[in-house]
Amino acid sequence: MVLSSSAYFIFLVGAFFLYWPVARFRALALAVILFANYFFYAKWDLFYLALIPTASTCDFLIALGLQRAKEQGLRRALVSLSVLLNLGILASFKYMPFFLENVSRLSGRTAPEWHWIFPLGISFYAFQSLTYTIDVYRRDAQATSSYLAYLASVSFFPTTLAGPITRVATLIPQFEKKDKALSSADGGKALFLIALGLTKKLLIADYLADNLVNRVFDLPKLYTGAETLIAVYAYALQLYYDFSAYTDIAIGSALLLGIKLPPNFNMPYAAENIADFWRRWHISLSNWLRDYLYFSLPGLRSKWKVFTYSNLILTMLLGGLWHGASWNFVIWGLLHGVGLAATRAWQGFAGGAKGDGGWRRIARIFLTVQFVCFAWIFFRSPTLDAALAILGRIGSLTVSFENIPAPVAMVLAIAVAAHYFPLKWHGWVVDRFAATPFYAQAVALMLLAVALQYVAASGVAPFIYTKF
Amino acid sequence: MRILPPKPTLVILTLVALMKAPDAMPAFKNYKVLDWQTIPAVLDFAPRKTSAVPIEDEQLRMHPDKDAASYKIFRLSDPTHALDHFYEALQRTETRWPGAITRIVHYGDSPTTADLITGDARGLLQSRFGDAGHGFCLLAKPWAWYGHNGVDLSGDGWTIDPASMSKVKDGFYGLGGVSFRGNAGARSNFVLKDPSHTRLEVSYLRQPGGGSFEVGAEGRTLGSVETQAPAVEPGYVAFAIPPGARRFQLRVTAGQVRAFGVSFEKPGPGVEYDSLGLNGAYVSVLARMFDARHWGRQLRQFQPDLVIINYGTNESAYAAFIDQSYGKELKEIVRRVRAALPETSILMMRPMDRGQRDSSGTIGTMPTIPKLVTIQQKTAMETNCAFFNTFLAMGGPGTMGLWYQAEPRLVGGDFIHPMPAGAKIVGNLLYQALFDGYSQFKLRRVQERFAKAPQGEVVPK
Repeated sequence: MVLSSSAYFIFLVGAFFLYWPVARFRALALAVILFANYFFYAKWDLFYLALIPTASTCDFLIALGLQRAKEQGLRRALVSLSVLLNLGILASFKYMPFFLENVSRLSGRTAPEWHWIFPLGISFYAFQSLTYTIDVYRRDAQATSSYLAYLASVSFFPTTLAGPITRVATLIPQFEKKDKALSSADGGKALFLIALGLTKKLLIADYLADNLVNRVFDLPKLYTGAETLIAVYAYALQLYYDFSAYTDIAIGSALLLGIKLPPNFNMPYAAENIADFWRRWHISLSNWLRDYLYFSLPGLRSKWKVFTYSNLILTMLLGGLWHGASWNFVIWGLLHGVGLAATRAWQGFAGGAKGDGGWRRIARIFLTVQFVCFAWIFFRSPTLDAALAILGRIGSLTVSFENIPAPVAMVLAIAVAAHYFPLKWHGWVVDRFAATPFYAQAVALMLLAVALQYVAASGVAPFIYTKF
Repeated sequence: MRILPPKPTLVILTLVALMKAPDAMPAFKNYKVLDWQTIPAVLDFAPRKTSAVPIEDEQLRMHPDKDAASYKIFRLSDPTHALDHFYEALQRTETRWPGAITRIVHYGDSPTTADLITGDARGLLQSRFGDAGHGFCLLAKPWAWYGHNGVDLSGDGWTIDPASMSKVKDGFYGLGGVSFRGNAGARSNFVLKDPSHTRLEVSYLRQPGGGSFEVGAEGRTLGSVETQAPAVEPGYVAFAIPPGARRFQLRVTAGQVRAFGVSFEKPGPGVEYDSLGLNGAYVSVLARMFDARHWGRQLRQFQPDLVIINYGTNESAYAAFIDQSYGKELKEIVRRVRAALPETSILMMRPMDRGQRDSSGTIGTMPTIPKLVTIQQKTAMETNCAFFNTFLAMGGPGTMGLWYQAEPRLVGGDFIHPMPAGAKIVGNLLYQALFDGYSQFKLRRVQERFAKAPQGEVVPK
């Protein structure tokens, strides 16, 4: 059940009408959320109805054990068990085919078939689950004694497919809140975000993918260097609009049920350096990697700067591998790790002073975008050879724009302009929408649905980040 | 306390009512945004179909790593046995007659120029009947997409005129459809993966004022050629390849040289399969852009046993051209080939399906594609050619949609160009069809012998 499909919205409306009448009754409200969560998982595969409750129950019990245990050794063992459990799920369902394939390549024997592959990117669940046990271990959060509240929070359906990765400890209080209500402003904001997400996904991301990006990345030799370069920029925009569309729909869906999720994007292509980029792109993953991986690595407090740089590179390398077991993701992570380390080194050298504005700032943004787009080539290409083919085409320095028709150029221009739309204006538009009468909101949403139906004739494509 | 949040609830209910309006009011029937049939489907928890019987065959065909023999055979249409000449040559090759080379020339558009489909079919035919070499290669890449499996090619200093761009007024494009003009210093480098080729043949133009070029292998000169001649005529020069040589160079040493390509050959018996594709090519390239006499001499020089004509994708965007000219142009190609090689078999090969999205986002077949197939099939019948319906062999209408959504993806995002995995499937389908036709030919020949032989007499092999 993709978040931009009509089936999802029917499900969401059903959840809305089931949830709010019982929202005052804590246990019932939690039961409805849990039911919705497991219903959502079951739509992907019934196997999740066994896997998720079992894994969640283990983590719930481990957290209770962590809360009560005084001995550091036992606490360490318990948190290790949780880490093993969640990473084990990841390894079994995500990395096992890659592992078996490589073992088979090395041993020369035929790889055994691995049947435990399921359509849902389980990594967001695993990461979200780990935030809870690690926070309790670090005594940054209290373990909940409410089994129902924990189960409902850790598997909250809008965040299941592609985040935002939310600390379970911040979700539980929202679910357990007694006086739940949905104000007109929040309701309007929720519907606006969902509509915005659909527009981003269908009008920009899918359009660019179908009409330019997929064509060029599939068969780069058919395109000139200039067209290939434009396709790389188009992919950067496609990825942003695809992923931020998912986030908007997820945040809007959660808000419709009275739950506030953290933001995941903040104009990423306006970043002035790579460190700034990661404060703006997939913010919940950057925070997760920083809080639960980077801070856990040895040498953090060492006076030797080399530890800082190597830890940054290692963190991003693992972040790259999290996206998938391939050399392309390793290179992508490595590029960003080196970029982060270089930024840190430069800031140390230059005293970390905030740069001046004007054209220097524009130059920094321009250079950062070039670096990020260069790294996206490895991220997007299915193989290393394919990435090199894209770079080869760009390097051919051939110029012609025959394969960039006017509508594609127009959507690209809209995408660029909308990305740099000031946040203040965005907030103003949301407030104006939320303040309009209910019938005007309904008519606006209906008109948008009709327009999307006609303009974005691309059907329902899965969100890119749901495969991670 | 309210049961439901009032304003969001009203918005949702009003929106649902608006979505329902097109069902109640026919005037708004074009504004449906929700299929109400989706509602029961939300409660459908049926597991995903991964091995249902109806799609098993499709999956088998679509899986590019499967053994070629496991593909379903889609037969050629050859009621008049138009391919018998080709099959006879193939039989001589199969029975290992000394030097029996079966030569196929395959004219097509962008997939062919990239040696997609043709490269796969070549590999299969050569592994079954023997390898008689790479065959014809252009002197440089007219476009980045050009390639020939197993040959690493680069050229420098040439003025390149492909027939599909129709810049050369005399229509002299050699066998491969591209004319190369170069002054002293222009060069072509070929690196072959396979070092067992024994002969190379350069085709060029002899002409008044023509310059000279030399051919080398592994850094040693094999020979020099003067292209100066009193009249314009095709020229061919062959060199024996030193054993084990893989690197070859052709270099213009003086004046201006006009050349067309190099053919790399082995002594046979085996199959040689020339992939002669041009980007954006359409039937008129062979029917009009090529000079008939010049092309005829090229065909007679290379003596193919089978000529495959594989156009249609680029024409599919022009419905009026299909209605008025497509059939006539096909007939003209056949006439030209027959004028040069009366005995040679001709196979008309339908190009692949071509997809386009409709307003609902579904990837369907372009409406002109079935019409193209009908015209091509009819023309093949009328001109005594065999016909291979690639469109139906692939799966018929809507195949591009399936192939685009397949994992790995079998066709590019333009719904025209096959990915290597998709090309492999089509190459396999073509090979299977040719092999099936050949098997039927052999069976037919045996039956004919039995029919002729008096009862009780042993029929010799």
